[in-house]
Amino acid sequence: MEVLRYRVRHQTSYKYSGRVDLCHSLVHLTPREDRGTRILSHRLDIDPIPDFLAEHPDYFGNHVHYFSIQSSHKALRVISLFIIEKDPAPSSPQLAGLAWDQYPSLSTTADESGVLFEEFMLPTGSCPLIDETLAFLRPSLEPGKDLLTLADEVMSRIHREFVYSPGTTETDTPLPAVLKNKKGVCQDFAHVMIACFRALRIPARYVSGYLETLPPPGKPKLQGADASHAWVEIHIPGTGWVPFDPTNNLRPGDRHIKLGHGRDYFDVQPLRGTFLGSGKQQLRVEVDVERL
Amino acid sequence: MSSPSGSTFQTFPEYQPDPSIRDDAIRDGHLNDCWQEFFDSCREHGKGILEEWRRETFRLSRERGLAYHADVSGSGWFLDPVPWIISIDAWSELEKGISQRSLLYDAILRDLYGEQKILRTGLLPPALVFSSPGFVRSLKGSLLQASTPGIGMAGFDLARIRDGSWTVLNDRFDGTFGLGLALENRTVVNQVLPDLFRRCQVRRIGHFFKDWFNYLADTTDARATHPRVVILDSNLEGSPESNFLSNYCGIPRAAAQDLTVRSGSLWLKALSGLEPVHSIWNRDIGVGFDPLGVPRGTPGGPPGAFEAMRLGSVAVASHPGVAVLESPGIYPFTDRLCRELLGEDLLVKNVKTWWGGEPGSLLYILENLHQLVIKSVTHSPIFKTYYGRLCSTDELAGLRDLIRSCPGKYVGQEELEISTVPTTGSDGLIPHRAVLRGFAFIDHHKNARVMPGGLARVGRADGSIVSTRSGGASKDIWVRGEIPDAPIRIAEEVEQSRIHVKDVVTSRSAENLFWAGRYAERTDFVARFAFRLIISSVLGFSFGRKLEKDHETLLFNGLFEFLDLKAWLKARPPFDQSIGLLLNDRSCPASVSFNLSNFNQACLGAREKWSPLSLHAIQKIVDDWNEGTNLVTSPYQFRPHLERLELNLAAFVGLNLDSMTRDAGWALLDAGRAIERSLTLAGLLDFLFSSAMTLPTETLLCESVLVITDSLRTYQSRFYSAPSRNLSLQLLLGVGDYPRSISFLVKRMSQNLAKLPGEDSRVRILEKLASLDKFIGEFVSKNQFSSAPAVLSEISEELQNLSDDLTKSYFSHASE
Repeated sequence: MEVLRYRVRHQTSYKYSGRVDLCHSLVHLTPREDRGTRILSHRLDIDPIPDFLAEHPDYFGNHVHYFSIQSSHKALRVISLFIIEKDPAPSSPQLAGLAWDQYPSLSTTADESGVLFEEFMLPTGSCPLIDETLAFLRPSLEPGKDLLTLADEVMSRIHREFVYSPGTTETDTPLPAVLKNKKGVCQDFAHVMIACFRALRIPARYVSGYLETLPPPGKPKLQGADASHAWVEIHIPGTGWVPFDPTNNLRPGDRHIKLGHGRDYFDVQPLRGTFLGSGKQQLRVEVDVERL
Repeated sequence: MSSPSGSTFQTFPEYQPDPSIRDDAIRDGHLNDCWQEFFDSCREHGKGILEEWRRETFRLSRERGLAYHADVSGSGWFLDPVPWIISIDAWSELEKGISQRSLLYDAILRDLYGEQKILRTGLLPPALVFSSPGFVRSLKGSLLQASTPGIGMAGFDLARIRDGSWTVLNDRFDGTFGLGLALENRTVVNQVLPDLFRRCQVRRIGHFFKDWFNYLADTTDARATHPRVVILDSNLEGSPESNFLSNYCGIPRAAAQDLTVRSGSLWLKALSGLEPVHSIWNRDIGVGFDPLGVPRGTPGGPPGAFEAMRLGSVAVASHPGVAVLESPGIYPFTDRLCRELLGEDLLVKNVKTWWGGEPGSLLYILENLHQLVIKSVTHSPIFKTYYGRLCSTDELAGLRDLIRSCPGKYVGQEELEISTVPTTGSDGLIPHRAVLRGFAFIDHHKNARVMPGGLARVGRADGSIVSTRSGGASKDIWVRGEIPDAPIRIAEEVEQSRIHVKDVVTSRSAENLFWAGRYAERTDFVARFAFRLIISSVLGFSFGRKLEKDHETLLFNGLFEFLDLKAWLKARPPFDQSIGLLLNDRSCPASVSFNLSNFNQACLGAREKWSPLSLHAIQKIVDDWNEGTNLVTSPYQFRPHLERLELNLAAFVGLNLDSMTRDAGWALLDAGRAIERSLTLAGLLDFLFSSAMTLPTETLLCESVLVITDSLRTYQSRFYSAPSRNLSLQLLLGVGDYPRSISFLVKRMSQNLAKLPGEDSRVRILEKLASLDKFIGEFVSKNQFSSAPAVLSEISEELQNLSDDLTKSYFSHASE
């Protein structure tokens, strides 16, 4: 068994049409060290150099950086650069040995990071409890069906029934719109799948990270061609959190590199900020994932 | 004739509570001892005294700005002169209960933002907490240090029920309402009933405030010898409570926009620059304290504020995540929580409550809906409180469906039989149901401090529900003491504490004061101009000559030019319509109504700088105008309203001269007036000089300009001649001792703006004014009237430039 090493470079650039005098930002770009992963090096390069920078763990145990820039600037660039080592993913079980409708009550229990499961069982703004979710889910809900079988089925149905279509949704497009138009990106599909399982009171969480993409055979890999990715983890009693990638219809393994998790996108938004100034902003994100 | 003392008819025959409801003063025909002095006093003075107390209370509370929108009939906020008197024993029981409840809720809060043991052990259902919008996950770990403020200033609504015991109806921690009103009520009632107050040995509440401010000072970083404490309340147009509190103790009030985070510390944007803030009395409602920490929350306080809290550079009381505690869904669990967290039994119970999130309770709620009170677990603008017994069968069915659709969102509560207290009515004393709001905080030694008093709210006379939203009255609460409390002057106490008391003018209020001055002056100008137009049109009509007609046209065109209305309006409408446009068309950017509304907004933006009387005067200017001109149909009908507006504006200006501290804020208010007036004068004079006209027209036009600038009389007594433009220019531009001349106004600005802080900017601004003064002086001494238009436009430009410089240097701190 050979360990895998990845180098990830995630660059976010803002260009402002006017002068920005003050900005505050929260950054979720440092990977958490879950079991089987080790960070070998990590650097956060911010330009202009922040007047203030601090790091602390968030509610879910992810790394958060806060920084402020207090002098006039017309552009902002944040580069997160890290090398991570991963043990090969253990083979994922095919069956949970537990039916979805036999799920035990975990309300007052906490997961391995100390966060109560209930956090991942309740609806949130991005994953509300709505009839449309249940309507989507209903065809798959045969009584007594194994939980993992159900999860695989929901994952592949999202993959099959929804169209991957960048630009059709925003980060705050409401779930009903996604369910109605059956269009979106990885983040929307993750929210759909999470909402499905929370409707059944089964803990489900949002994972932010990256996916190593492979160039077409015989072609070199393009710089900055990768992107942030999002998938889902569902808690299986006795097994733990099991990941599902509804965008690609697969159980994440070696090629998925996790940054952090939360209840939905907004808990682990890569870069969130407010700035004081006039004019519009132009955003550009470039991601490179390289296997070493 | 003698009968046992304490019988209802002997004490006060007019007060006869409903025997089927428990009354706090008279029970089973016997008077509760602590009310004895009150009824004695009523008897001594005779029946008419109640009405006298009522009127005096109303007068005083209106004067203090407490009840401006109220009227004596009791609509709006109304203070009843009859206090709710509470005996030593009853208070002692209540005080213990409030004390314990404060400690309990503080412990709950610390656990929720810490280890969450109460959730892990099932003492409180996790879903109840996690689905609350008041639970702020990014504040986890922010309460690990015992010295970090938790619940802050807590408020508890309590009612006495049939057996005389107290029951909690609500717990309030988020921007706790009522503390300032309690303070004002006390001040007023104390003035109305001074003898009775002394005879009853009422406990004083000032000591509680003193302890609270000392606590706020001590929450701060010990390195700050004189910590700056601010009262944060961003709702400038809302309740005046924060201003009462700020005035009472001399601690500045700030709105969220006044604060900024730099390098992990919190600062106040003041006229004098950025000032460090060490401690915040947080009276803002909601979780938007740090928009960065609460995604998709209501944008509120300064981004980065949570970081400053985390670093310990600022203490915030109450804790911005405190709203989670306000859920009545916690009530079914308080008994167990109290035993587990404090190791004692809960002394004062809360109203019996069932949370829909538990299957058994849900069933109970659905089966007993008709006799329960149904509430949402969070404050909801959409969901009102339902009283099952008042609902129709259809309503109950709808409610059942609603609860079933999301049971965790609702609670059912027992409806309480709340006791009554004597309250003044239209004819003597009437029993009203009353709820007491008690206040408490936890000090650094983990002791609860309870205010010996509070705010009472009474329901309407029909005995229905007690609620502030639906009107009703408030009362002072008199807690009787064993011995008289020593009087206390809180501002002196605060001054002697560690707290940094130097008053501060925030950039926000400075800018608003400046613009209040400008808009007041602009309103006055447009009003006077329009008035003159109305008069001259009447003259023109009666003479019917070309001369008057020409003058009118010139004047009218001049005004439209002056107000720069061409961009907004292609052609000038006929006279009547034009006047209406200029006066009460709110959409016209030059109209009196438009300027008044901006004036009002600017005044409210600097709300803490005004006395209650000034606020009253401001409101009156706006209300008189809007109400008066609502139904006006022809220009001539505006006359009395224009006269009143002028008078009201003059009263406002006089009041400010009379009552405002001459600080930098006042200097800016006055500078705003002076700049606006100078600009107007320069514009009017320019208009005289740039229009070609015959001599008779010139005379008439100069007369108009002198009338508009209220200078005709001065002109006549100085020059003894028909108005000419050269002499008008001399008077209005260059006579240094005439208060309405530009030259005088420039000197006035120099004098006032010398009060501004910030050496560099001040020196630069004063230099600008000095050179402007010199420029005017030189021009006047040369008597070269032909260059007047160029000179006047240069003056206007310089004044505009000055206004911009003030804005850049003092009102915005962006590029520091």
